[in-house]
Amino acid sequence: MGTLWHSLPANAQDALILVALLMPAVLIGSVIRRGFAPGPVVGAMIRRHVWTNAIFALLVAASVATGVGLLAQERALRVASAQSADKFDLVIAAPGSEITMLLATVFLQPSNVALLSGETYDAVASHPRVALAAPLAFGDSHDGAPVIGTTAEFVRYLSDDRIDGAMFETYEQAVIGSAMGLEIGDGFEPAHGHGDAAELGVHGTILTVTGRMAPTGTPWDRAILVPVEQVWEAHGMPTGHPIDDPGLGPPFDPAHFPGTPAIVVHGTSLAGLYALQSQFTRDAESMAFFPGTVLSQLHAVMGDVRQAMSLLSLVSQMLVALAILTGLLILTRLFSRQMALLRALGAPARFVFAVVWSQAALLLSTGAALGLMLGFAASALLSDIVSARTDMAVHAALGWPELHATAAFIALASVLSLVPALAVLRQPTVAGLRG
Amino acid sequence: MSLPLRISDLKVTAGARNRVLVDLPRLDLQSGQSLGISGPSGAGKSTLLYAIAGLTEHCSGEVRWGDTDFLALRSGARAAFRAAHIGMVFQDFLLFDEMSADANAAIAACFAPKPARTGLRARAETSLARLGLTDTARSVASFSGGERQRVAIARALAGDPAILLADEPTASLDRDAADRVIEDLATAAREQGTTLVTVSHDQALLARMDRVLHLENGRPVGTETKRAA
Repeated sequence: MGTLWHSLPANAQDALILVALLMPAVLIGSVIRRGFAPGPVVGAMIRRHVWTNAIFALLVAASVATGVGLLAQERALRVASAQSADKFDLVIAAPGSEITMLLATVFLQPSNVALLSGETYDAVASHPRVALAAPLAFGDSHDGAPVIGTTAEFVRYLSDDRIDGAMFETYEQAVIGSAMGLEIGDGFEPAHGHGDAAELGVHGTILTVTGRMAPTGTPWDRAILVPVEQVWEAHGMPTGHPIDDPGLGPPFDPAHFPGTPAIVVHGTSLAGLYALQSQFTRDAESMAFFPGTVLSQLHAVMGDVRQAMSLLSLVSQMLVALAILTGLLILTRLFSRQMALLRALGAPARFVFAVVWSQAALLLSTGAALGLMLGFAASALLSDIVSARTDMAVHAALGWPELHATAAFIALASVLSLVPALAVLRQPTVAGLRG
Repeated sequence: MSLPLRISDLKVTAGARNRVLVDLPRLDLQSGQSLGISGPSGAGKSTLLYAIAGLTEHCSGEVRWGDTDFLALRSGARAAFRAAHIGMVFQDFLLFDEMSADANAAIAACFAPKPARTGLRARAETSLARLGLTDTARSVASFSGGERQRVAIARALAGDPAILLADEPTASLDRDAADRVIEDLATAAREQGTTLVTVSHDQALLARMDRVLHLENGRPVGTETKRAA
């Protein structure tokens, strides 16, 4: 059985889990309602207190939406952040915090970090297992967007060579990310520093935009990429080339290399990357890490938080469901005359049971289905906001976990709905008829 | 089809001290006869009616409809007997206001066996038409009191009952509407040969019954009176 289960495709397994989760509700409903047509009576009961019932369903919806939104949003963030790190096979930096370097290189969050020497860069760049080694240089910004110094090769690699316009060919040229407000041909002056502390007029250099990268779905879409030599020169440092050589891009001369906070490495093979990581993880000189690995560690933490929040959300859903069932128990007293009437007209106890169960199950299930849609809508809205703020391509989508959570809630709701139905059966018929 | 009623030593009690609400040593009613139950408020008229309908739990004695000892049946069997043989009409109609007259009259179709549903709906429709109700697709909330009670009568007749039980069917109506309902009940009972038992203060209704049983403090007082010719 276990072998058969594991041989199934993941989607088939998820679909079967969904069916299994919905099965209690289907079974209870079909057993209780078998041979009856309680629809018209249930409809009448719902219409009689339509607003109360609507509020019940909306409360359930809000509760389910919180759980669904949380699950969908966490997954969307995880996928988007993993996507952002796709092009960053290996990052080599000065020893320190891998997370800080991950945030600085992949997510372009400003940070002060130590620099790698020209010798280290040279050893990395000339390594036979390195296909591309791009130094990065931070420190400047324009209109809130970071200005990153790097090489033309890295810009082509990052954008899959999809650049509208031309690559920078001089120190005074720049390529912009797809989300930048500048146009090709525009000139701008990089400010020194970031955010409120950024100072204009420090460098006194005007750069011209020559190209625009296609969207990458990463924070690099709202960045300006310039020759690394430009950043070094603007900060009064050597340009990586002999003084009389206005060269652009590698190879860099170690003797004139001013240092770089990080080198983004694209390896020739996966095995090669592991060898590089081992080789350049040196106590005093450098550290090499896989951004994907660091991200998965972060995701594991996020996953723990998600689990805790999911549990809280489940508890809140249960509390809402219990509150609603209490409300339904009160509401059934309002219907006691109608239920007594049905008994007096000869309706079997199971029919009255089916009517009350159907009403409760319908409200809870409708609320759950509505919550699923609201949760998705909220997650989509949040994703748009996060995308706008981080430039990561965050896409919310309904996944199996949300469907499973909703189905589990419906299953539980179908069991809880038995409570008001049982309560109604205990009400004496004659007392009900007399109101 | 109608069923005779035989009651022997019927006692309905209530409370921890078994206070006697109804104490009826004997009552016989032939098939197709009508019986009015009268008496002051609190005399036990409705309690007796509900006991005859098998709705009261704390009963002893015998209520026999035809060959069926009704009180000896379990709750489910009593419900099935009511569905098959008894139609009931109440003082304040007890309709589902959110449903149409058609749906109210045919409400038993919701719990009837599937093969019986079509016939039940057809009979409900016929009964509504016979009682002079038109535009029956609209909600009963928009109907007058008299019309609502006629919908309730149509509901009671839809199951083609052998027995019709009515609890103060005219008490919530004005005189004209009450007279119309009395006529409708009496006509339906006569045409279908139904045994009719009705609780009422309404002398006009009681006057149309074959016999009248007067209750006081849950006990019959004096002799049963025959309806005046």
